[in-house]
Amino acid sequence: MFSFQPDRSQYPDIGPDGKFEIDLETGKFLKLWQGPNHPGITGNMSVELTVNGDEVVEGKTHVGYLHRGFEKLMERRTFIQVFPIVCRVCVPEPDFNEYCYAAAVEELAGIETPEKAKWIRALILEMGRFNSYMMSIGGIGGALGNGIVGQWLTYVRDLMLDRFEELTGARIYHMFILPGGVRAGLPEGFEGRMEEVLATAERYLDDTEKLLFTNAVFKKRTKGVGYIDPALFESYGVTGPNARAGGVAKDVRKDSPYLVYDQLDFDVPVEHDSDIWARATVRYRDLRVTIDLLRQILAKMPKTGEVMTSLPNVLHWKIPRGETYIKGESSRGEYGYYLVTDGSGYPRRVNVRGPSYTHAMALLEHLIPGTNIADVAALMVSLHTYPPEIER
Amino acid sequence: MGSLRDVLSPFTAWKHVIETPVTLKNPIGREAADRYRGFHQNDTEKCIGCGSCETICQNAAIDMVPVDDPKEGDSGLRPQIDYGRCCWCALCVDVCMTGSLTMSNEYTWVDTDPDAFRFIPGVDEKPWDAIAKGYQRPGERMLSGLTRPEMMEMEPEARIDNFDEIVAGYSREQAVLEADRCVECGLCVATCPVHMDIPDYIAAIREGDYDLGTQILYETNPFSEVCGRVCTHKCETVCAAQYEGEPIAIRWLKRHIIDNVSEERRLEIVGTPQVLPTGRKVAIVGAGPAGLTTAYDLARQGHAVTVYEAQDHAGGMMRYGIPEYRLPYDALDRDIAVIRAQGVEIKTGVRIGSDITLAQLKADNDAVVLGIGLHMGRSTRVPGSDAPGVEAAIDLLRRITAGEEVPVPKKVAVIGGGNVAMDIARSMARLQKQKYGAVGVTVTALEDFAHFLADKEEVTESIEEGIEILDARGPQEMVTFKSGKRKGEVKGLRTWKVISIFDDQGRFAPQYDEADEIVHEAEMVVEAIGQMADVSLLGDELTEALQWNRGRIAVDADGHTSEPWLWAGGDSVHGPDVIHAVADGHKLAASVSAMLAAKAEVAK
Amino acid sequence: MKAEALSKMTNVEEVLETVAEFDREAHSFYTDLIPKVSKDIRYIVEELARAELEHIIKLRGLLASPNMRAHLKDAILRPVADRRFSDAIQAPELGDAPDDQEVLQYALAREQTAIEQYSELAANTPPGPMHEVFSYLANEESKHKSDLEALYYQIVHSGGV
Repeated sequence: MFSFQPDRSQYPDIGPDGKFEIDLETGKFLKLWQGPNHPGITGNMSVELTVNGDEVVEGKTHVGYLHRGFEKLMERRTFIQVFPIVCRVCVPEPDFNEYCYAAAVEELAGIETPEKAKWIRALILEMGRFNSYMMSIGGIGGALGNGIVGQWLTYVRDLMLDRFEELTGARIYHMFILPGGVRAGLPEGFEGRMEEVLATAERYLDDTEKLLFTNAVFKKRTKGVGYIDPALFESYGVTGPNARAGGVAKDVRKDSPYLVYDQLDFDVPVEHDSDIWARATVRYRDLRVTIDLLRQILAKMPKTGEVMTSLPNVLHWKIPRGETYIKGESSRGEYGYYLVTDGSGYPRRVNVRGPSYTHAMALLEHLIPGTNIADVAALMVSLHTYPPEIER
Repeated sequence: MGSLRDVLSPFTAWKHVIETPVTLKNPIGREAADRYRGFHQNDTEKCIGCGSCETICQNAAIDMVPVDDPKEGDSGLRPQIDYGRCCWCALCVDVCMTGSLTMSNEYTWVDTDPDAFRFIPGVDEKPWDAIAKGYQRPGERMLSGLTRPEMMEMEPEARIDNFDEIVAGYSREQAVLEADRCVECGLCVATCPVHMDIPDYIAAIREGDYDLGTQILYETNPFSEVCGRVCTHKCETVCAAQYEGEPIAIRWLKRHIIDNVSEERRLEIVGTPQVLPTGRKVAIVGAGPAGLTTAYDLARQGHAVTVYEAQDHAGGMMRYGIPEYRLPYDALDRDIAVIRAQGVEIKTGVRIGSDITLAQLKADNDAVVLGIGLHMGRSTRVPGSDAPGVEAAIDLLRRITAGEEVPVPKKVAVIGGGNVAMDIARSMARLQKQKYGAVGVTVTALEDFAHFLADKEEVTESIEEGIEILDARGPQEMVTFKSGKRKGEVKGLRTWKVISIFDDQGRFAPQYDEADEIVHEAEMVVEAIGQMADVSLLGDELTEALQWNRGRIAVDADGHTSEPWLWAGGDSVHGPDVIHAVADGHKLAASVSAMLAAKAEVAK
Repeated sequence: MKAEALSKMTNVEEVLETVAEFDREAHSFYTDLIPKVSKDIRYIVEELARAELEHIIKLRGLLASPNMRAHLKDAILRPVADRRFSDAIQAPELGDAPDDQEVLQYALAREQTAIEQYSELAANTPPGPMHEVFSYLANEESKHKSDLEALYYQIVHSGGV
């Protein structure tokens, strides 16, 4: 097909080490800052681009705009006081923080979670995944000028936020998964209203398929662009949909099932091209799986039973010495909390493994050289990163 | 790449042009979900100002601020919330000890004054105060324990034929579980007459640091072992944990600390006075809790203290009033040993007024303190109350402790509904069981069970031990044998039913139903009603010289009488229990000590 | 003796005057008793004397009042029930140095006698001003007795632990 792309083989020169030789003194290059804008998609981070013509020859990531020192804050708070702040480590999908922290505390303190609470936790986590994917797919459309998809899916996400609001009492930071269980059971008639949301979502996703995934322009802009060599997955810590788009069927829900995932029936979608297209497609397919999982959870969930265990007095709750790592499959890959306790009333160390940490920095810097300026936004969105979890 | 389908398909999006918009026309004013965590509400009547909300708030958004004078069990503080800091996590609602703090589902609030967003829910009126919807804790409090571990006690069959201690004391596990429930609000500290540092010694239990616990106990109370068993625990009646669950077993936790420290270790921890002798002499009359606490404090300050006790052993009512099954004598002796170790001399078997006169004490000492207690029992003085076989409870209890022979008939009737009535009923029941193998005690109380004076546990345990308790019965006559060999001796107690005991204003105004008359068969009738102080030791002259306050020696706030050399405290002045006597003891010692210091200044 | 004297009276003023005289006697009785009892319980006797004095003042006020009958009627509309608590208490002979309980018992017995006498007089008097004044007096004494009983309970029955 006809191409507007210039012949990139002309410049810049490739040095003996196989890398571009960049000499700003030559006047051939231009420094360009992308960000730190806040579309909520690529978040508050910026990439310092070095461009040669419209080709990006180098990209340096700059983070820290959202740094609030969460892990340090946690060390200065009692175990119960950590609960309200963990969700803030990731704005669009906060619930993994709540789950991982609660599960880590429960393991070290020896607390049993009631069965029904596990189902509600899985429900919450899938609701969060649903919203996160909606943002991601809307975002990839937006990054490539197809804003209408972003509007549609933001609307659908808003409907899910209504469900969050009635279930958890809050829309964004739910603060619902307490160590020991969850704060409440389902409100009256929740299942019916959830089904309405899922049906609406499916209708909009059908339209999204027609507008985005059956779209010559979208295909042209994404296929073959932003390729990640699956051989790099291990060394760059690539997990989740980014890895599944490259043929690696990694999914914590399947590989080491937590909560009630061993009682749910689902397949892990895999693509093979490892480009922007494959990553968007894997997310789209996984979103369909999520919708199915939400229905399964509501159908299989126990209708009665406790949702919360009595805790020891949380005002002077001490947890015996120990350490643990709790992980889960977030919409962006493996999410994990490493918790060390020393027998005192405060966590000795909390380390949050947000998948964005690897994807948004090392991997992005590796992928950027050689792309067109116009593709950088789509590339970033296709990695689906949330900067707050880089800077926890 | 790409097909014709890929070019045409996106145009299907045009169908949305004819669809109704999904946006809300007016998003402002949209009602939030039923359990939405919106603006705070506080039922200030229910709130006790314990401050648990302030403690749990990770963002320091809550400050407890004074809105009223403190009352018993209410700090007078209420949470003020700064919405510049609040993150609406609702842990404050979850941890609330009374359930007073909730959240409405209101979430819009516009104001030009930034300070308006720091407010006191329930005090500063807000439009959402009456909204019923919003976040409320589902079910009971989950963030701290609700129930206390059950105290192991001897079964009624095992305890009724002996005077062994009934209560076993907490195990380490039980004590830790119970100590864990405390939210450290300190309402108990304010209520305790001696302001024991309860949250801190409970924390010491959690830490397993019994040495520290003992040290904290001794900062305020030299009778911790006694109080750990028989304290009237006013602290527990204000405990924040009682509103949704049981109050913390503060008394048993205190006992648990002492139980875990040997007598030798306790002496090491408390130590001996670390000051030079002042050369000042103080005489204390009565070796009860008030007198001995005064002695302890004064001796620690280097004064030479002599305590005079009329009975053969020190302890006062703690020994001669409280039965052994509630307070073993060796427990009392351990507390007294620590006091003696401070150099306090206790002269027992010396009755002031007859063996030594008060005037003599005045002449020989720099100060004299009276802690004489209430050792005389009141009589109903109904017909027959002076007949042989009618006894005073307080006198009988003393004789039992002293090991004197007391008559033990098969049938005993007790008049009274207080703890003393329970003490004598249960003591007599034990003696009956030992002698006859059966219990035959009937307690008749003026008060009905709703207004009963005795502790609930005392009543329950008495009934378990086979004692009959008849509430709302007024004594009319001690029935005596009218003829025969036993003429004049008691053969029963005649009572009338009390229909009501107090009027609308809570004033004593009994109404009798004389048709409901019972004669309780008994060869001994024990009067366990009021008690009074034996003030005969004062002599006529001093009695006349002293100021009085409705039958009791008048004292100022520090226990100083109208005579410059004389102080008085304890039951005989204030009543009515050990812990109040200890509190009096501290006050007396402080007042006496201030006067002694002044004397020393003058002597320079 | 009291009843006998009063039964011969023919009008309300006379009755009230006579009763005031009785109260004056009682007042001087208690006043004389004050120095005899030990200082610590003197407050009881002082209160008893004060109560008698107050009663005299009240009767004086009643005599001077233009609408005396309205007062009387109003007072007997709210009769004070005799609860008979102190029935079983024996009237002691007050010796030289009575204790607090004896003084109270004596006072209670005195009130009891007064109530009985006034009630009997009221019962034997046909409806009219005389009936009203006797009913009024019985009621007054009942009120006073209730106060004393409350004090008695406080001192004798709840003075201990």
